[in-house]
Amino acid sequence: MDRRSFLRSTAAFAGLSALAASLSPLRELGDYTNVEQFMQKYYKEMTPDDMTKVLKRITGEVERQYGIRPHVRDLRPMDGVEFVYALNLTRCIGCRKCVHACVAENNQSRSPEIQYIRVLKMPHGSMDVEKGNHTYDDKEVPDKGFFYMPIQCQQCKNPPCVKVCPVNATWQETDGITVIDYDWCIGCRYCEAACPYWARRFNFTKPQIPKDRLNPEMSYLGNRPRKQGVMEKCHFCIQRTRDGKYPACLEVCPVGARKFGNILDPESEVSYIMRTKRVFIQLKEEMGTNPRFFYYFDK
Amino acid sequence: MEQNPAPSPTPGSTKTVYCLSALVFVFVGLAAAFMGDLWGHPPARQEIALVDKSFLEKTPWRKTYADMVRAKEDMADFDCYGCHDKKKPPPLRFDENHILIVPEEHKDIVMGHGTHNRNNLCYNCHNESNLETFQVRDGRELKFADSTQLCGSCHGPNYRDWDAGAHGRINGYWNTKLGEARKLDCANCHNPHAPRIPTRVPAPGPHALRTPVEHPHTPETVH
Repeated sequence: MDRRSFLRSTAAFAGLSALAASLSPLRELGDYTNVEQFMQKYYKEMTPDDMTKVLKRITGEVERQYGIRPHVRDLRPMDGVEFVYALNLTRCIGCRKCVHACVAENNQSRSPEIQYIRVLKMPHGSMDVEKGNHTYDDKEVPDKGFFYMPIQCQQCKNPPCVKVCPVNATWQETDGITVIDYDWCIGCRYCEAACPYWARRFNFTKPQIPKDRLNPEMSYLGNRPRKQGVMEKCHFCIQRTRDGKYPACLEVCPVGARKFGNILDPESEVSYIMRTKRVFIQLKEEMGTNPRFFYYFDK
Repeated sequence: MEQNPAPSPTPGSTKTVYCLSALVFVFVGLAAAFMGDLWGHPPARQEIALVDKSFLEKTPWRKTYADMVRAKEDMADFDCYGCHDKKKPPPLRFDENHILIVPEEHKDIVMGHGTHNRNNLCYNCHNESNLETFQVRDGRELKFADSTQLCGSCHGPNYRDWDAGAHGRINGYWNTKLGEARKLDCANCHNPHAPRIPTRVPAPGPHALRTPVEHPHTPETVH
């Protein structure tokens, strides 16, 4: 080998290595997407076969990442069902158990924290949420002179978040749940800005969930683990409620302040509450969002 | 593709050499920057401790008589005639303010039903002629397991709401075609002797993504 060709090949090798090294941050791209997910069809255009493949992919991804084989399903809305939530402000004691039961059920990031429910501590005699404090740090609750108002996604009939989504990654289902396709979301956060209830959360970082706290009972539009850069929010525990169960926040409530059910069924608890209780508020009623989440008083 | 800059007399290839050298320089620079972590790591986030599992507990904080029978627990506390005499109802004693004195044997019972001590009489609910049952104001006799009906005999509106599922806790299935809905009894949440729900320690509040920066107060933000 002569001197010139030696220098030439050395330089070419060095140049290629430098190119490779400079592109090395792309190795982390696998955390965000992969070919299969990139080529995936829009949720509403998927055939049952497509969905089976997608669920298989998600099962594999979760198993690789957490070492637990999840049970991922794609539950569809039931006929003749429209979900409504009713929350009794007389009963709520502000213990925040619902917040953490929700996190545990729906596989939210633990550190940094993503929580769907915010419990506002509000002074008696006012319904002004501006006066609410959600970082209260009392030794004992309830505190005298205050009431507590948990706020989460209100599952509006006229959802502003759906209107602003530029890619239709979020939409309202026939049972009233506004869902997000985490594989379709581009993370523009328009919906977060549009929501008057501060109900949507953004994964600024890769979500951190300890393996032993992962809930393996998952659904596609519900609690499957999210990636960095996508939105998420309360979906009325779609993986439970479309299976006929109560949401996790309701079951854990120690005072029975949370009520959930099918408003189209006149025998359901929520229908009874709408008929007989002082259901006084859809939060920020004047926005015209028409929430399916109602606050009421007992007395 | 990279190519070794080869010296050449023609002006066109000189240009190529300069371009390629510049590219190689840029790539080497970038590579060095990534290797040496020139931008450094993002500021470390504060690790947030996992929430205590007691806050995720769904079981009610009290067991009713019926729950205890179902769990086959020791029911010795409910064997009234182990100590009391069958024919002689135990007398109630009051202090100078007409407040019931809880006997030493029952000192774990806190009397706190109703305000102003108006309902702190044992025989408003317990049956003096048969201590192992309850008595309702309308004359019915109820078993310990049917305590919810006893509560309902005074607390009508709450009983009606409970019956409709609007008061109290229900676990399980909202769609009873798919599974069972387990409605909890009054005594699962309320202590019958002191029914007001006690205060409790709240679960930890939300942590911010970053520690909020303290801005100096301006006249507009001072409250």
